Amino acid sequence: MRTFLPAVAEQLFRDIQKIYEETTQIPDDLLIALKFVFGTCALQALDLVDQRSVTCLSSPSGRKAFQVIGGSGRLYTCFLSCHYCPCPAFTYTVLRRNQGLLCKHILAVYLCQAMAVTQQESISDQQMSAVLSGTGGP
Amino acid sequence: MTDILTLVFRTLSSQTGQNKDPSAGPPPPAPHSNTLVVGEHRLSRSVLLLAAVTAASELGVRVAFFAQTQIQSLPECLQRCSKITFSYPRTLEELLQQVASLHEFPCPPSLIIIDRLDGFLRGAVASSHAGFHSGDESRAAHLAALLCDTAAFLTEVLEKRGSSSAPCRTIASFLSDADSGQESRDPSAMDPILDVLDRYFQARCTLDQDRSYEAAAAAAQEAWHVYLSGTKIPDDLEDGPTLAQEWKLFIFPEGLMEFKLV
Repeated sequence: MRTFLPAVAEQLFRDIQKIYEETTQIPDDLLIALKFVFGTCALQALDLVDQRSVTCLSSPSGRKAFQVIGGSGRLYTCFLSCHYCPCPAFTYTVLRRNQGLLCKHILAVYLCQAMAVTQQESISDQQMSAVLSGTGGP
Repeated sequence: MTDILTLVFRTLSSQTGQNKDPSAGPPPPAPHSNTLVVGEHRLSRSVLLLAAVTAASELGVRVAFFAQTQIQSLPECLQRCSKITFSYPRTLEELLQQVASLHEFPCPPSLIIIDRLDGFLRGAVASSHAGFHSGDESRAAHLAALLCDTAAFLTEVLEKRGSSSAPCRTIASFLSDADSGQESRDPSAMDPILDVLDRYFQARCTLDQDRSYEAAAAAAQEAWHVYLSGTKIPDDLEDGPTLAQEWKLFIFPEGLMEFKLV
């Protein structure tokens, strides 16, 4: 995902990507930085990463979207180019209270992308349209 | 998208005594901006139609125009224009499905126009004291984010094809509660839906009717202020040039529209 992120967050993900490529671990200082920048959803997002909860869906047209399995088992669809998640935390904390940049699901997407642990799944163009519109899913 | 709006205004500006130098005034933002047109629906729809026609005729791009209510008196030239596709989804769900499926088209649009976002987003349950309900913030964000993401994807497709139609832009109109004249609403309260939309639309075109004697002085029926502005962006995000343009619009009895750069 591009844009919508402060420079400090973008740099943090670049640092995580680099160190994870070399060591397959995230050192304590970067974990602390994650908590500092993103607050309580940092640990929750890392749990989702550990559970390999993020899947990148792609269709023959080239269109892509992310799906995240939440803690309750519910599927959340997030977009590539801007921040959106249908979860209540995004609606309340980000949209209504403007108290956070993103929810744990979107953060989990960023982390999985940085760590290259995103699952991949191919679906048809029609299925992709249903996923994007929120009317269906694979 | 404000580059297309600026082109519309310049095309319809007075031929005499008007500086048509493209470098006049501040530059428009990067053309991939998404623009929200805020103001009275009657005029905003006209602005959207003008944008569609300008984009199709002057720039030669494909346009996808979505509206909830059918345009009854569509000019014949628009009916025959193969570059503009008009769609009339009745509900938000239908609109989401149609926008979400744009990636399936072999010839994707370069301009996506949505007329009256508020009509699609307004809650199904009528309420006498509020136009929007709590769930509408998430729905507004979903629609706006889908538009944003779709435009980004179609831009990539057009650029990969080496098309001069890239980037893909979006423009949508929105009638806020303030503009709809809801008397029960606290005039000092912000519109929460507009706040949500501002997250996804980088630029805004505000239409504000001039109620002074300026219209009469210009022998016009109506006079409007048209403000092009960039929405607020967090300080540490990379952003383009600040957008601030003001135009004056005069509407004459025979329907003629004339823009003047202020």
